[in-house]
Amino acid sequence: MITPFSDGGYASGAAALLIGAAFGWFLERAGMGSARKLAGQFYLTDLTVFKVMFTAIVTAMLGVFWLGWIGVIDTANIYVPETFLIPQIVGGVVFGIGFAIAGLCPGTSCVAAATGRIDGFAVVAGMFAGVLGSGILFASLRQFYDLTPRGVLTLPQIFGVSEGLVVFAVVLIAMAGFKVANRIEQRNSAA
Amino acid sequence: MNDDRAIRVLATAALALGALAVVAGSPRKSGPALDVAQLAREVSNESDHVTAVELAGWIRDRKAGLRIIDIRDSASFEESHVPGAVRQSLDEVAVAPVKDGETIVLYSGGGAHAAQAWVLLRSRGVKDVFFLRGGYDEWMDEVMNPRFPRNAPPEERAAMDSIAALSRYFGGVPRNVDSLIVRNRDHDGQASWKAAVKRARGRGC
Amino acid sequence: MRAYSNPYLSGFGLGLVLLSAFVFAGRGLGASGAFASAAAATAAVAAPDATQANDYFARYLSASGKPAIDWLVIELIGVVVGGFISAYLAGRLRRGVEKGPRISNRSRLTLAFAGGGAMGLGAVLARGCTSGQALTGGALLSAGSWLFIGAAFAAAYLAAPFLRKAWT
Repeated sequence: MITPFSDGGYASGAAALLIGAAFGWFLERAGMGSARKLAGQFYLTDLTVFKVMFTAIVTAMLGVFWLGWIGVIDTANIYVPETFLIPQIVGGVVFGIGFAIAGLCPGTSCVAAATGRIDGFAVVAGMFAGVLGSGILFASLRQFYDLTPRGVLTLPQIFGVSEGLVVFAVVLIAMAGFKVANRIEQRNSAA
Repeated sequence: MNDDRAIRVLATAALALGALAVVAGSPRKSGPALDVAQLAREVSNESDHVTAVELAGWIRDRKAGLRIIDIRDSASFEESHVPGAVRQSLDEVAVAPVKDGETIVLYSGGGAHAAQAWVLLRSRGVKDVFFLRGGYDEWMDEVMNPRFPRNAPPEERAAMDSIAALSRYFGGVPRNVDSLIVRNRDHDGQASWKAAVKRARGRGC
Repeated sequence: MRAYSNPYLSGFGLGLVLLSAFVFAGRGLGASGAFASAAAATAAVAAPDATQANDYFARYLSASGKPAIDWLVIELIGVVVGGFISAYLAGRLRRGVEKGPRISNRSRLTLAFAGGGAMGLGAVLARGCTSGQALTGGALLSAGSWLFIGAAFAAAYLAAPFLRKAWT
């Protein structure tokens, strides 16, 4: 695959900066730098997080699928995160609780801080401390961290169906989810 | 509103591309589609496995992209294994990524598990995958401790000598014995030197 | 101060950004990886030997054990720049603390720090956060990423009723 900016040189750095800037731009445009707006997700008053996240996932998923299909990109060369069942479920739970407490996630906390929110800085600092602390204690976390490795495991492999079918299922689920989300927001804003 | 129209267009496009994806199947060219008839042909024309001697030759000649996977339990692997082999469980073999240009050789203790792992990998669309038919037992019998009949005809002697050399390369102990039948009575197939001779003749070289 | 953009259109833009990261850089987006890299660099300055011996930090250092500038660190600097420009152009730059009306600034900042800490631990265990696991792994249909999404949102919804005072 041609990944012109993956060499680690100046071009790679420039690409990282540009891609990051575009990432931050769209997060801010959507209001994802606002902790109150994000917290609304968990009280079902503002489902922006769900809508933005799933639209982005569906867009990128369809893009990867079709660009791979017509041969523009070689999907075998894109690094798919490996699956570790138990650490990822437990990590997800701890992360989710932290998300509800902080009202921001790691990426959006940087946007919040960049736009002047002091609480954004506090989340950034907490996140840094959390990663630093976990890293220092990594020797004791190690055994748990390595539990239940499944290598690169994808949903089509689990369900034993073609990738296309899973892609379509995700699109349909997202569309249904968006309909429900719009309805919930209407109900909760009318109340 | 302008936004609403754009969203409707995007949603329609997403649904259309999603529905077409079902027909398109998989972007990976090898595809997960399992051609059972093709697999059956490979099994019956014996292109699905390697003998221990062939594998030994590949290792000695440093065949490009060769990856040997031991699917026995880790205790057996720690005790001894084919040089250069890595251990993976059947679960890991089922999902482990395979690069283009890799040739994978699977072996288990006897051979049955490796044959099943072969089906797993072939059904994932991995092309160059073989299994050691007699398993690690065959490696020990045919490469590490090969036995040759003393009274072999001269035209077979040459093949035996090359196998003996191969065996010594891996630190094996080739032996000449009076009666092959008695020594190898627990072996189900014919000795691999005989198979090697047959193959060499078949290829006409 | 202008209103925020439509979430679906912003999400579409974000999806295209993620896709271009796949196409041009051969990798997805991330945030917690940048924190890990920064933490490793800090640790390497404070305690070089212990950090090089640490299995978690070592992978974020250069081969010689020196702090390395990771792709994700530059990307996250980009996030800060992009977020700032967008907010500036929309007149949304505002110094302050975002919180519910029933909680003090001090409590909000304490919670923000604590929540950040929990997310740090969670992201280490799960090998990523909302960016690296949920967005990137989600789009690539990784099973572990979807497990992470499910677990994180389920836990957040279960925790939310206990945190009502902080937000409403």
